[in-house]
Amino acid sequence: MSEQSALEELMGLFDLETIDADLYRGRPVRTTRPRVFGGQVAAQALCAGIRTVDPAYTVHSMHSYFLLPGDPQVPIVYDVERIRDGRSFLTRRVAARQHGRPIYYLTANFQVPEDGLEHQDVMPEVGDPEDAVDMVAMMRSGGTPEADALAKEWAALGARWVGSSGRGLPDDPVHPSRSRLWLRVEGDLGDDPTAHLAAFTYASDISLLGATLAAHPVGPEQTQMASLDHTIWFHQPFRADEWWLYDQVSPAARGGRGLAIGRVFTRDGTLVATVAQEGLIRPRR
Amino acid sequence: MPRTTAELLALLDLETIDDNLFRGTQPGSILPRVFGGQVAAQALVAADRTVEGGYAVHSLHSYFLQPGDTAAPIVYDVERLRDGRSFATRRVLARQHGRPIYVMTVDLQRPEEGFEHQDRVPEVPGPDEAIDINDRIRGADGSFTEWDVLDFRYVGSSHDLLPADEDRPGRQQMWLRVNDRLPDDPLLHAAAFTYASDATIMGAALSPQGISIGTREVMVASLDHSVWFHRPFRADEWWLFDQHSPVATGGRGLVNARIFDQDGVLVASVAQEALIRPMRPSAGER
Repeated sequence: MSEQSALEELMGLFDLETIDADLYRGRPVRTTRPRVFGGQVAAQALCAGIRTVDPAYTVHSMHSYFLLPGDPQVPIVYDVERIRDGRSFLTRRVAARQHGRPIYYLTANFQVPEDGLEHQDVMPEVGDPEDAVDMVAMMRSGGTPEADALAKEWAALGARWVGSSGRGLPDDPVHPSRSRLWLRVEGDLGDDPTAHLAAFTYASDISLLGATLAAHPVGPEQTQMASLDHTIWFHQPFRADEWWLYDQVSPAARGGRGLAIGRVFTRDGTLVATVAQEGLIRPRR
Repeated sequence: MPRTTAELLALLDLETIDDNLFRGTQPGSILPRVFGGQVAAQALVAADRTVEGGYAVHSLHSYFLQPGDTAAPIVYDVERLRDGRSFATRRVLARQHGRPIYVMTVDLQRPEEGFEHQDRVPEVPGPDEAIDINDRIRGADGSFTEWDVLDFRYVGSSHDLLPADEDRPGRQQMWLRVNDRLPDDPLLHAAAFTYASDATIMGAALSPQGISIGTREVMVASLDHSVWFHRPFRADEWWLFDQHSPVATGGRGLVNARIFDQDGVLVASVAQEALIRPMRPSAGER
């Protein structure tokens, strides 16, 4: 598949069909996966929320829970509830439905841009993406059906591996489970801010849970993984089609769950977003 | 606001109005609006009331929508989103005067075993060596007792006592506990902790500016509040509130916090974003 069609396919995901006021439907996707990729549902739900909001307001955060595996054979319906319409802030809840049942709930908050106090963490020192290992090319060379399905999910993305605990990152007993990579959408997303927000949201779900297993020497075949929640704080606008560093740290895992926090830096060192995700990480018996 | 654990327990003991519908008592307060931690804690209790035994809360995510009225009780309306084999999910809408003031989603899980790791606890002075700030909070004449149910021991912040860390300019550390023994019910500890977790947390976002939480230089209003409960722990024994603000921009500051017990076990994580405005805006808007 050419890069252009992968990008078109990704963008097609975000082009929701309007069924009624505050009610939308995603388009079906070709996939060999048994369930819908969580980042797709999150990105489509965010797009549905944005559709109901005056463009003077921009999304600054979203919190969401995954309830049921999505069925890739039927489109997902997005039902938007207007929870608050304030002067400075708007809040929307989006229920993603299939077969008459909710599979995912997202709540998003929107704000009229304003100024205030400013500070941020310093970006970690890492090498350039051009010098790092091309993860997607590695997946494409896997040759198994699983590797092909995975490569499909990543098809529109560029990913350059920086390292994880014990593999490419120096040992850090303070943070024993972490991983870093460069990500971007391959191609030109244009200038519509919603496209960048949606594409970033899609990509933000693709690697974060992996950080919870960086401290554990287990392969994917030995673990059952599923995202439980997904949270993004959008600090300021940025382009999802230019490299951003995903600095992922898992502070804790226990009870079959792992939490990971990702700081997102653009190449110039600006902290543009923070992502949090808890996932089910079960040892497969 | 509750001054004693008995008053805190009364706050957490909701009245059942109907199936999935509850009402909280409203303790007297001189604050201009309801403390966010109170709404969060009561909403958590409401959610738990609708879930059968055997499930324990492992995370909650919430948004503050409107300032709560301290003169009226808050009604909690619970929607059952999922009753699965391993997980149960609830949404709680907190209402006053017919309007939603707060919305929380709570996920509960049947306890299981799995992979384990955690960040290492920072080296900090213990609660007995840290600074008792309860008297400072009560004010010169000792009359401001709104926070009395909590014990605070201040360790430091980026502009005050903590060693410099250029990579992370927004940090604050504090020991907290509920000031008297709670019953052993883990839900009460989770709820009491949730109550306390909304206090002092934005200090880390103000510290790069040399501003201390509680001063009148800025107006701070919580926008969202999330808690991940990694394991059960006692809210009435000291826990370290290790707060880190990765960023503030656009009138908002974000804080990610880690909670360690006195043995250095990471028991919970908290995240909050808040509106931070350098002056007092007109009442009622956020």
